[in-house]
Amino acid sequence: MYSAQVSHIAKSFGKTQAVADVSFAVERGEIFGLLGPNGSGKTTTLRVMLDVFKPERGTVSILGGPMSEEKKERIGYMPEERGLYQDMPLERCLVYLATLKGVPAGEARGHLAGYLERFDLAAHKGKKVKELSKGMQQKAQIINTILHRPELVVIDEPFTALDPINTQLVKDLMKELRDQGATIIMSTHQMRQVEELCDRILLIDDGRDVLYGHLGEIRRQYSGHAVLVRLAGELPTVAGVEQVLPHNNAAKLMLAEGTTPQDVLRALMAQDVILEKFEIAVPTLDEIFIRVVEEGDA
Amino acid sequence: MKKMYLVLRHELMTTIRRPSFLLVAFGIPLLAVLIFAGVTIVRGGSPDSGVIPSDPADASELEVQGYVDQGGLISVIPHDIPPGYLIAFPDEDHAQQALEVGEIVAYYVVPEDYLQTGDLIIVSPDPSPFSAHRQDGAMRWTLLVNVLGGDAELADRVWNPVNLEVTNLAPQPQHDSYADEDCSKPGVACESSLLIRYLPMIMLVLFYVFITTGSSLLLRNISAEKENRVIEILMLSISPWQILTGKIIGLGIAGLLQMAAWVGTVYVLLRMGGGTFNLPAGFEIPPSLLVWGLVFFLLGYAVYATLMAGAGALVPNLKETTQVAWVVMMPIFVSYLVGLFIIEDPHGRLATGLSLFPLTSPTMMIMRLTVGGVPLWQPLLAAALLVLTAILVLRAVAGMFHAQNLLSGQSFSVRRFYGALLGRA
Repeated sequence: MYSAQVSHIAKSFGKTQAVADVSFAVERGEIFGLLGPNGSGKTTTLRVMLDVFKPERGTVSILGGPMSEEKKERIGYMPEERGLYQDMPLERCLVYLATLKGVPAGEARGHLAGYLERFDLAAHKGKKVKELSKGMQQKAQIINTILHRPELVVIDEPFTALDPINTQLVKDLMKELRDQGATIIMSTHQMRQVEELCDRILLIDDGRDVLYGHLGEIRRQYSGHAVLVRLAGELPTVAGVEQVLPHNNAAKLMLAEGTTPQDVLRALMAQDVILEKFEIAVPTLDEIFIRVVEEGDA
Repeated sequence: MKKMYLVLRHELMTTIRRPSFLLVAFGIPLLAVLIFAGVTIVRGGSPDSGVIPSDPADASELEVQGYVDQGGLISVIPHDIPPGYLIAFPDEDHAQQALEVGEIVAYYVVPEDYLQTGDLIIVSPDPSPFSAHRQDGAMRWTLLVNVLGGDAELADRVWNPVNLEVTNLAPQPQHDSYADEDCSKPGVACESSLLIRYLPMIMLVLFYVFITTGSSLLLRNISAEKENRVIEILMLSISPWQILTGKIIGLGIAGLLQMAAWVGTVYVLLRMGGGTFNLPAGFEIPPSLLVWGLVFFLLGYAVYATLMAGAGALVPNLKETTQVAWVVMMPIFVSYLVGLFIIEDPHGRLATGLSLFPLTSPTMMIMRLTVGGVPLWQPLLAAALLVLTAILVLRAVAGMFHAQNLLSGQSFSVRRFYGALLGRA
């Protein structure tokens, strides 16, 4: 069962093609990562998915069908460019926006009290939004996104302006929402958070999907291009190794195209070295991102 | 419907809590009342002293004046000047002494060569030109009667040479309450009431201010929401139609409150301070004018506020709103300027045409209705055309209220605005 299904969508603004061809599906109850360099079309993809923009091509199904006014109440969205009433007191602002999502004001106020406490904002609820720090405003924005208990949460860059403690707070909250059955689609540049939180990812580059699937599978797919080696003595020259990098107490050997880890192992054994460690290096998401985006290695 | 109401309530409450709104809506009228009360106190009167009596025989509120007739022209005081109101003095010294002891409030000197020059000198310790103007009618009347050899009837005909009878084809006269006011007698208040004379112009200015300020609130509101990006959150919560109608009605009620505060203040001042404004007895703003005022304000606001909302959807930031407001408000601004020039010919072709054309009728029709004598079919037709225009504009602007415009950072252009209104964006 999918919370969102996007199939071959395209969207342009004038002569600029923001999204050329993107397809993906988000399963109910998962945390899905939407990645891509700046200007790759992530935000436009999210806006098309949420029916803010109509696509020129392709289809979108959200919560089991086309977008409707009723479904808006079941979705929480935090846009890339934050939006709260700057001149309104925090509590009034969040309660008002929750009522627009169909939550009675009294109920919204009750939910809000708990979230304000949890995010250390209770003492600031009477302050105008513009009087809050950037980090506080970010937390307020996150609360606004989930206050009405949505089934589908779509968050663009959730960790911007947050310190490590608040980052952890938000990560815990996202896991908690997932455990309660909510689906989360998260667009971010912070690969470490994606690695920790996401079950599956989609990488968009230049308006096209270039990488899509389970994180583990993708990493396996991109492993084998490097090995971690620790020897008793000095590392000899090995054919097929392009570069040697220090890596903790070992060496990371970057393999040339066509060279496999088995080739390197055989070459080392042939030179009678005492091998203390030999491990196929699993690439980080950062490395995969760079390889896919900069080197076009999809 | 419920969400539209939530937007409406939010916009209304947010607006009326704003200090700038409170200042304009209530601060300015309050200031006017305070200034009026201050002037009244300084002048030694009381704010509820009432209007000046239209009957010159009622001397209870008239102040005694004197005159020095150097040419021996005045032989008779007209019978409708209250006895003892105009006191003759043999020379200026005696008149000056009477003035100093407070026996009289002012005196006139009629020079020997009055018949050749028409010169009349008034000596008064009160520097206000309005107070002098207010009561010199009695002296003028006395002079006229005496120049005509004491024939009061002839003098009356010269003063008021025609009894103009106007046949109004409208089913009901617009200003029956003061159109029949007896202004034929000199010294009667309405002869010199600037307020009544300029009431059509005042109404023109007031309606221009009400409609433009009310509509501008909407432009600023929408462009502010675009700038702080709340609009994207709103679009994921409610429909653009609900946003638009909620805002128009909410801010319209705020505008109506402002108008009520201003009109209420004007009403209170007129009731309290008729004397200060030199209004005739029985003067009142006719209820029909108030009803038409409400109709034309609401319809004019609906058209211009909706246009402003459309412009707001296209404006990328708050900074550009001032220029954009001018583009949208140009028709009503032009009608306001033209109205100031054609106020003397309120039923001419230009004034009639502008009062029927929907983008100019909210101010021009009110000006004409204040003057009076407008056939009933004209305000009815103007209102019907305004309703039609409001519906068309609302439909066109609702079409502009979509994400492509609301989230765009594209700069505003007149061409793009009118293109969008015609459904080309």
